Amino acid sequence: MSNILIILLGTSILYVFAASRIESYIKTLAFQGLILFLLVILDIKEINWLNIAFLAVETLVVKAIVIPFFLLRVIRKNEIGREVEPYISQFYSMLIASGIFILGFVVAFWSAKIGSGVKPLYFGVSIVLIVASLFLIVNRKRIITHILCYMILENGIFLLSLSVANEMPLLVNLGVLLDLFVGVYLFVIFFNKIQEMFDGSHIDILTELKD
Amino acid sequence: MVSILLFLPAVLGLIVLLSKNKIVTRISLIILPLIYSAIAVLEWFGVNWIILPGWLNIYFKFDSIGILFLAVLSIVFLASSIYSIFYFDEHNYSVQQETTYSSTMFLFAAAMVGVILSTHLALTWVFIEATTLTSALLIYFEKKKSSLEAAWKYIYICSIGITLAFVGIIVLSIGSRSFNSLFFSDLYLHAAEINPFWLQISFAFILVGFGTKIGIAPIHAWLPDAHSEAPSPVSAMLSGTLLNTAFLGLLRVQGIMIHANEESFSNFLMLITGFLSLLISAVFMLQIKNYKRMLAYSSIENMGILFIGIALGKPGIFAAMILLVAHSLSKTSLFLTSGNILHLFKSKKIENVQGLLKKDSLTGWIWLISLLSISGLPPFPAFIAKFLIVKAFFAAGLAWLAVPFFILLAVIVYGMGSAFFKMSFGEIENGNKLRLNFSAYAGQIILLFLLLMIGTNLPYVVLNLLKNAAGFLY
Repeated sequence: MSNILIILLGTSILYVFAASRIESYIKTLAFQGLILFLLVILDIKEINWLNIAFLAVETLVVKAIVIPFFLLRVIRKNEIGREVEPYISQFYSMLIASGIFILGFVVAFWSAKIGSGVKPLYFGVSIVLIVASLFLIVNRKRIITHILCYMILENGIFLLSLSVANEMPLLVNLGVLLDLFVGVYLFVIFFNKIQEMFDGSHIDILTELKD
Repeated sequence: MVSILLFLPAVLGLIVLLSKNKIVTRISLIILPLIYSAIAVLEWFGVNWIILPGWLNIYFKFDSIGILFLAVLSIVFLASSIYSIFYFDEHNYSVQQETTYSSTMFLFAAAMVGVILSTHLALTWVFIEATTLTSALLIYFEKKKSSLEAAWKYIYICSIGITLAFVGIIVLSIGSRSFNSLFFSDLYLHAAEINPFWLQISFAFILVGFGTKIGIAPIHAWLPDAHSEAPSPVSAMLSGTLLNTAFLGLLRVQGIMIHANEESFSNFLMLITGFLSLLISAVFMLQIKNYKRMLAYSSIENMGILFIGIALGKPGIFAAMILLVAHSLSKTSLFLTSGNILHLFKSKKIENVQGLLKKDSLTGWIWLISLLSISGLPPFPAFIAKFLIVKAFFAAGLAWLAVPFFILLAVIVYGMGSAFFKMSFGEIENGNKLRLNFSAYAGQIILLFLLLMIGTNLPYVVLNLLKNAAGFLY
């Protein structure tokens, strides 16, 4: 069951590569949050209920509902429909995405072979999510897409931490969640300001400061 | 003590926000760094009251290096707070702006103290991220187009960087499954059990992540922008304390590498990035037109030298600790003085500033003396530090590296010196002299006095503090 979910998570990033409407990015984000929630629930083998309840809230409430809803409101308010033409064309991005997937599977096989103690499929797909979102950040021009890809990067890292059996203490989890939450909140505040002041939201407009 | 350090800023921030009073705001702005320095001194003499007992004490503790960093932080914070009062008056800020500024500054300081005190690797990460979030608001404080751009670049680049550091932390926990703990004390104790392969990957990720925050080349892109666009007292805090705290995070991770006998790998990486930072700041130093950006590149240079010092092993670390203190104090003085120059000439361009000594002699002299201090000329501690680093090159059998080191330093000193002399000397157009408010000079004078004291007649207490801090790794 959890293997199917992981594969779904991997395919969702391919969908992001192909999509050009910003709203579909946000839907993917909510979808990924939901899958991460299911993975956490399926994984329960500990007795530490506080930690599990916390992880469930983090994935279901924050990642799948609050942040996507918040971002959806932002793009509706600012009337942003589509991503503009990226630096590398759609076709070549898809090729690069396939390359990243191959890398992910190689890493998964290799981690299973050396017996590192991580769950191979989790590990491989989380590498895919991290590398792919970094590529998307470099390749896209809209500032709002940068925020969304940052969230995908965070999902990848969450999956990476699920691939390791060790759990973080509750205090640390709480801090991480708080930081992410405030981070996204600040991103959006600054995004709105940029929209207001620079009259646009491409990164090409942010070129006032240079040497 | 720990609870005072962490919770007092929040309480004071709340008081300031609720009081809506300029006098209360300014008094708290001065009192907090004074309390911080008092606590640093008390801790150094071994006085430790535990007010709130229990769980907090596992996660937050003082160690020898933490005291040094807290002491530097409180001195820089004090100077920057004194200057903030001048800054408020100069811009005629409203009560609301003053209270927002002060309470954000308190939270920023608390986040940095959190990095200094935390005994858990992931908790260190949390607080480093918290410093980004609080200081981004301060960088955008003047609400100009350029400061918005700087704040956006800062918060985005640093968030991505710090996220990669978290990947490093997870990778480290893969390698340390046998004991399953991320407390620094456990990591040091069981360092030999950590799988070297995962440890090396983890160090590379953490170097990139915390290195972004330290402003090491080639991931320094945010630093000149943020330092030049922030209000001057905030630039001083960024350069004098924020870079240090992120550096402390990396230093603690380097401790794991040393205990695991993997330091040849980390030293190699740090040596390369250190020299790259020197090279980049030397190249840019010759063509910069904005004096605040010039100071920012000088910070990149000094962080590079710190990396080189750490990479050279035991003798280099003591030199690095002296340089860290020297850089923080002199750079704070320079950034605060750059605020005076901005006020006098209304421009950040070097070409628009001349005759500083004629226009306001005190600002001019502070500017020039701070230049001597940051360049590492004899009466100042940076000289001792750079001398010891060259000595460490010889001790490590890398004497040939001293040659490029000297050449790059000479280029940087030449670049900064020629710009500074051009700004200080020359005639002014309209011959009226100006003298600013007392609070525009007081902080810098304290800092320069401390620097001279450390450089000429190193007090035994300070020497011990530095030695203990340097002994933390080995």
